[in-house]
Amino acid sequence: MTILMPASDQAVLGRRDAIVAALRAIVPGEGVIDSAAEMLPYESDGLMAYRQPPMVVVLPDSTEQVSRVLQYCFEQGIKVVPRGSGTSLSGGALPLADAVLLGLGKFKRIRAIDFDNRAVVTEPGVTNLAISQAVAHAGFYYAPDPSSQIACSIGGNVAENSGGVHCLKYGMTTNNVLGCEIVLITGEVIRIGGKSAESAGYDLMGVITGSEGLLGVITEITVRILQKPETARALMVGFAEVEAAGECVARIIGAGIIPGGMEMMDRPAIHAAEAFVHAGYPLDVEALLIIELDGPAIEVDELIQRVETIALGCGSTSCRISSSEAERNLFWAGRKAAFPAVGRISPDYLCMDGTIPRGALPKALRRIRELSDQYGLRVANVFHAGDGNLHPLILYDANKPGEMDKAEAFGADILRACVELGGVLTGEHGVGIEKRDLMPEMFNEIDLNQQQRLKCAFDAKGLLNPGKVFPTLHRCAELGRMHVHAGQLAFPDLPRF
Amino acid sequence: MDILKVRDAKDVEQAVRAAIEGEQPVEIIGHGSKRRIGQPMATNALLDLQALNAVASYEPSELIITVQAGAPLADVISLIDAKNQHFAFEPVDTAALLGMPNIGTVGGMIGAGLAGPRRIQAGGARDHLLGAHAVSGFGDSFKAGGRVVKNVTGYDLCKLLAGSWGTLAVMTEVTLKVMPKPECVRTLVLRGLDDVSANRAMTMALGSPFDVSGAAHLPHSAFRGDVGGLAELGSGREPVTLLRLEGIAASASHRAAALGERLLPFGLGEILGDAASDAIWRAIKDVQPFAADGPLGAWPVWRIICPPAGGGALGEALARATGGDVIYDWGGGLIWAAVPPRPDAQAALLRPQVDQAGGHAMLFRATEEVRSAIDVFHPQPAGLAGLNERVRHGFDPKRILNRGRLARSSPA
Repeated sequence: MTILMPASDQAVLGRRDAIVAALRAIVPGEGVIDSAAEMLPYESDGLMAYRQPPMVVVLPDSTEQVSRVLQYCFEQGIKVVPRGSGTSLSGGALPLADAVLLGLGKFKRIRAIDFDNRAVVTEPGVTNLAISQAVAHAGFYYAPDPSSQIACSIGGNVAENSGGVHCLKYGMTTNNVLGCEIVLITGEVIRIGGKSAESAGYDLMGVITGSEGLLGVITEITVRILQKPETARALMVGFAEVEAAGECVARIIGAGIIPGGMEMMDRPAIHAAEAFVHAGYPLDVEALLIIELDGPAIEVDELIQRVETIALGCGSTSCRISSSEAERNLFWAGRKAAFPAVGRISPDYLCMDGTIPRGALPKALRRIRELSDQYGLRVANVFHAGDGNLHPLILYDANKPGEMDKAEAFGADILRACVELGGVLTGEHGVGIEKRDLMPEMFNEIDLNQQQRLKCAFDAKGLLNPGKVFPTLHRCAELGRMHVHAGQLAFPDLPRF
Repeated sequence: MDILKVRDAKDVEQAVRAAIEGEQPVEIIGHGSKRRIGQPMATNALLDLQALNAVASYEPSELIITVQAGAPLADVISLIDAKNQHFAFEPVDTAALLGMPNIGTVGGMIGAGLAGPRRIQAGGARDHLLGAHAVSGFGDSFKAGGRVVKNVTGYDLCKLLAGSWGTLAVMTEVTLKVMPKPECVRTLVLRGLDDVSANRAMTMALGSPFDVSGAAHLPHSAFRGDVGGLAELGSGREPVTLLRLEGIAASASHRAAALGERLLPFGLGEILGDAASDAIWRAIKDVQPFAADGPLGAWPVWRIICPPAGGGALGEALARATGGDVIYDWGGGLIWAAVPPRPDAQAALLRPQVDQAGGHAMLFRATEEVRSAIDVFHPQPAGLAGLNERVRHGFDPKRILNRGRLARSSPA
């Protein structure tokens, strides 16, 4: 499948030497990279099937440098692609040939830890895990835990509104950030929110989170930290039917229990994971649930029993309950290694990310199986079952002509099915370039225009991360125009009093 | 004044388009329960959403409900209560505080975005709005978000709609997250603490692993009148610090006891059960000590949000400077302040101190005259104000919707 990116601005490319020199004047020394060899690591992000060398890479180390770089690009009409650690799975940080790639890798400092206000003020290049590590000695942690947490940056987490295994109970990034410093494309530096629970004015932090680098460049973030639960235990429950596992998930939630995490794997995923990490997963089941309860021991013990009873009532064929931290971690080891485990049984795989209503899980799985037969490609399924977030892994071989296109078409059909079942195109990986052209499956032109008007409020020239999220980017002047609703503007047919 | 009673989303589109054409800004109302909040509006027609009152779908096992914006909130709360579910952010009922007859509609709840004590644990209205259908100031129906919790498809416009006081779009239908109600509630009560010590106790509680879902402090002045919901606290008229623990019975009791032990340096606490807890936390949520029919009914009331650990010092200073009363919620992060009346509701005295504490102050209750005279919403730095204005312009360029509600003296 070809994803068309915006046409390169030849005039900008023609001025490349002057642009590099101007950027060097702002960010001295090794902070500007322009040799093809050195730019190689920046050619793609976690969506590795797509590569594109940027025009130049800039690695500023202060808000002032970011501001001056953006102001320069704004004045010169140069596109900018922001990048954190480059772990995006949707191509959000894919460079453009005529764009400056703005890396935040040098923003690596945690600026303040405030236990009393339960907040950490951090630079965007700090990894997700490093925040939890920095506050662990006081029993705190930062709740959202995307699988890539040892590598992914908190700035990228905000840009993508990252989730993770525990967001069923503790929320996604958007529910755990309090404020930020953001630099607009004009170079203007704006502070939003802070250590208060809510900020004045519109909830701009709420729309910046998950905006995929299209609204501004974040240079500081204030996140909320939580005390670690006293204890956590997990159940590993096997089912002979996927439907029974789906029913079990629904009944647990229906009983008013919100587990810390509730994950499902299907047979191919179970077998791949077990062969890789030997977690002791049952191999004679069609679906496996890993359900984690956390809180005080007295609560966890009781809820474990309640969940076990529910599982039995749904016809579970096996149930193991962790009796130690080591055993709990072992249960998780297979799930957390599911992607690399699948990587061992297939030369390539494509990881999808749709969300459906929990109740539609059996239907979605059936549809995925049908599509698997239709396309002749294998698929292994891992889900954040508690919140209906599917991660089907489509197995293919990029060396076989046409197979990658086939895998992508299969993936697109899965996402269409998610929308048909009342769900959405992406639960946590973002739209990026990967799902950009599927946006009309979920939003009509009016919906998308309204989203782009928000973009215009931040970036009227459309210079920040173009080619991502929106299938077509309209000019702001055009979007701002009031329609003439000819014939409809007559006196409306309404009761008046 | 024209009252446009709309029957469906198409009617709303028509009404807004007509308003654009006629350059007649409209005020969006449901039950009108919050009409007295905000800057007096420069509108000359009412867009009445009361007839949009249907529950489109309620799926308890999916933890979501989809309702039209004009649905009475009280009815919707009863509906989900029957399935033992609730809106975890505890929408504030402003009726007593403002002297209005009822809690209003679902649309009003989201547009105002007022969360109660559980804000510290479960998030605010913005965290529970999953999707919306709305009509923008362009006269176009658009949808935002979806019907599932985990969704990062496109910009999260729902966040903007929550708490926008009807100035961006007319919501016609919303999908909200509901949560199972806790089986059991315990309240740990500490007595006799001054505001700063109470703030420290609440900070320690919120920094504990006991999952505190409410942390409030009532200075002795809060007992000036007879607030029914506070009767369970006795008539000692001494300050009380309240910490709420919810969950299954064994867990809530265990945590209440363990927290009491940890807070022993602040004195020996007592533990209250479900019925008393419900009444007390409702009184705090709805700011009953400052009720319109109470002894401070004629005083202006401020809603101040600040970094929680500094709340005690700020509130104490504000009470001293203004001669007013304060009560604390959100572990000190939310201060309700009733101040003796002045033409500016003591804004000149109050706001600089709030600024210095890193917070913001909204004049929540005051006469129309006072609300015309000062900035009801906290003034913002120029850059941020400009960005807010550009965002508003992207939704409603002609300022048709609730014109003037958020900002004084803004150009038409």
